[in-house]
Amino acid sequence: MSRIETEHHDGTSDATPGGYEGQRRPGELVFGALMVIGSLVLLWNAYGISGFEALSAPGTVPMATTAVMVVTSAIIFLRDLRLPRVAGESVAKDILPGVVLIIALMLVAYGFLLKPLGFLPTSALFLIAALKLLARRGWLWTAFVALGSLLLVWIVFRIVFTVLMPAGIVPEAEVIQAVRNLFAGGQ
Amino acid sequence: MDTLLAFLTVFTQPELLLLVGLGTFAGVYVGAIPGLSVTMAVSILISFTFSWDVYPAISLMIGIFMGGVYGGSRTAILLNIPGAPSAIATALDGYPMAQRGEAGTAIGVTTVMSFFGGFIGIAVLALAAPLVSDFALKFQPRDYMLLAVLGILLVGSLSSGSLVKGIFAGALGIAIGAVGRDPLTFTERFTFDLTIMQSGISFIAVMIGMFGVSEALMQLHHVDKTAVRQKITRIVPSFGTIRKHLPLSLQTSTIGVIIGALPGTGGDIAALMAYDHAKRVTKKPERPFGQGAMEGLVAPETANNAAVGGAFIPMMTLGIPGDAVTAIMIGALFIHGLNPGPMLMIDQPDMFWFIVGALVMANFFMLLFGLTGIKLFTRIVEMPRGVLIPLIMLLSIVGAYAVNNSISDIYWMLGFGFFGYFMRHYGYPLGPVILGVILSRLLDDNWRRAIISEREDLGRFFHGIFTSPLSLVLFIAVILIFVSQTPLWARAKAKLFGDPAERVQQ
Repeated sequence: MSRIETEHHDGTSDATPGGYEGQRRPGELVFGALMVIGSLVLLWNAYGISGFEALSAPGTVPMATTAVMVVTSAIIFLRDLRLPRVAGESVAKDILPGVVLIIALMLVAYGFLLKPLGFLPTSALFLIAALKLLARRGWLWTAFVALGSLLLVWIVFRIVFTVLMPAGIVPEAEVIQAVRNLFAGGQ
Repeated sequence: MDTLLAFLTVFTQPELLLLVGLGTFAGVYVGAIPGLSVTMAVSILISFTFSWDVYPAISLMIGIFMGGVYGGSRTAILLNIPGAPSAIATALDGYPMAQRGEAGTAIGVTTVMSFFGGFIGIAVLALAAPLVSDFALKFQPRDYMLLAVLGILLVGSLSSGSLVKGIFAGALGIAIGAVGRDPLTFTERFTFDLTIMQSGISFIAVMIGMFGVSEALMQLHHVDKTAVRQKITRIVPSFGTIRKHLPLSLQTSTIGVIIGALPGTGGDIAALMAYDHAKRVTKKPERPFGQGAMEGLVAPETANNAAVGGAFIPMMTLGIPGDAVTAIMIGALFIHGLNPGPMLMIDQPDMFWFIVGALVMANFFMLLFGLTGIKLFTRIVEMPRGVLIPLIMLLSIVGAYAVNNSISDIYWMLGFGFFGYFMRHYGYPLGPVILGVILSRLLDDNWRRAIISEREDLGRFFHGIFTSPLSLVLFIAVILIFVSQTPLWARAKAKLFGDPAERVQQ
């Protein structure tokens, strides 16, 4: 196959999945082992659905697929065991750098804060923090871009797509009604 | 007459026309901005448009699909960064052309060829789909089951990655799709006695996680990469250039349609295969491949746009997605209460002809936006990733939440996002997972239907397979994919065609 631009050899496309042929990336063995364990748990669970009751039982396809998962993950794991490690790569540098870890934690925090705090405050916090971290510009610029794009996203999705996000501490509906009244009063 | 009217629906309703145009415009830019892929855009959009009527929703998605497959080529040529997976092969010769100061020509040829390929794909769709759907009525449940398995296997076997990982990913997808209560017997499956698991995992959450968040996390590795600007000259290509590459473009369009029509495989694989084909058949390129050969631009670009039309064939006729984007569209049709498959073509042929009409329109819009707006384009593409990535993440969260208004969908989405991130790192393809989730129900239902009709007798089941030509062909195809990956195949090939190394030894 032809040489592929490195940036897109990271699993963006199914035509060129990431990883290396004939080499094992840092952490790949742990991931493979987890897959084997996970598949075994699922197989055990699938067996519990209906056992070997009948070929048309609800558990047959789940058992077949999880059995396939166990076999394939085991093959992958055993193959990886024999492969040499990629030289010059480390988990902290190439697989899970600090910035990915921080952003991932921020996403989890977002999920937890969304309900109590509401969409607008949570998103504002997330965007300001993420932009500051990634774009590394001044606070004023960060706040301006973050709040501006949040406003745009909110207008598009609240008004055009009528998506209702948790309001939390912001009285969204009241604000929209007030704006509507303002326009209605102007006519 | 009804057919013609349905075909013209999109042209006669300004609202739909506008949405297709808007979609194509957005698609070109989504495709062009590195880090935003069509699959990502469509999977996030599906959750926002589900409250819409089905026609506008589909119009928008088709526009994005068509535009996005094309849009990736721009950045591939100008920056050597394919904006979308289907443009990976385009960068190989497009960027060297741009370095020689022929960026304008490269973009022009790409646009016209994408348009050409797109039309071939749509034409084949319009001609072949009605025939295939007639044929599909004869499909037995076991054939559907085999087709679903084949689709999942094909992604793994045609890509450059490992098939075992593809099979693992597909099986995982089927298992994810089975979570919740079994629709036939109401038995709980993979619920681990948790109430949130009973209604199953929303496939939209899986999709947005895998294609949205995991991609965005991946892009964090490249956050500081800056773009190099190229000078753009004349864009509209000369007629002579087009005519010269017409024979090749016909061949590569055919490859594109076929790969697109195969269940599971889409434009990215089609483009790489077409590129390899062009390399084989072009005896005397003006410039060597990899250094700016025009053929290396024509082949992938015709193929990936031809694959768009192709991908709709199995989707509309069998309800089996042609690639990841059509998998998501099947999800969209489900949400709107439509059930893609042969019965849809018979009950609602309007829907099919409407989609064909929308594709044609999207193709024209693509040509229009492709040959104009370069100035605006260069500015948008230079949008820093540091701003883009948090926004994608925010949209992913809103999208996952919007479908069921449930916070737990956000957790699922994030979970699959993190999981997908590691899968990408370690070379597991993500397409089979989505395909598995979408096809899980179809596979399970048809297996049970098939085996019940054979009175639970495996012998009779296989007897049925071996006596029906169609089932036999599908079955052999599935077996062949497995065999082709084993050392057995390499040995057999060496024996049959003669291995040069062995002959020397003798």
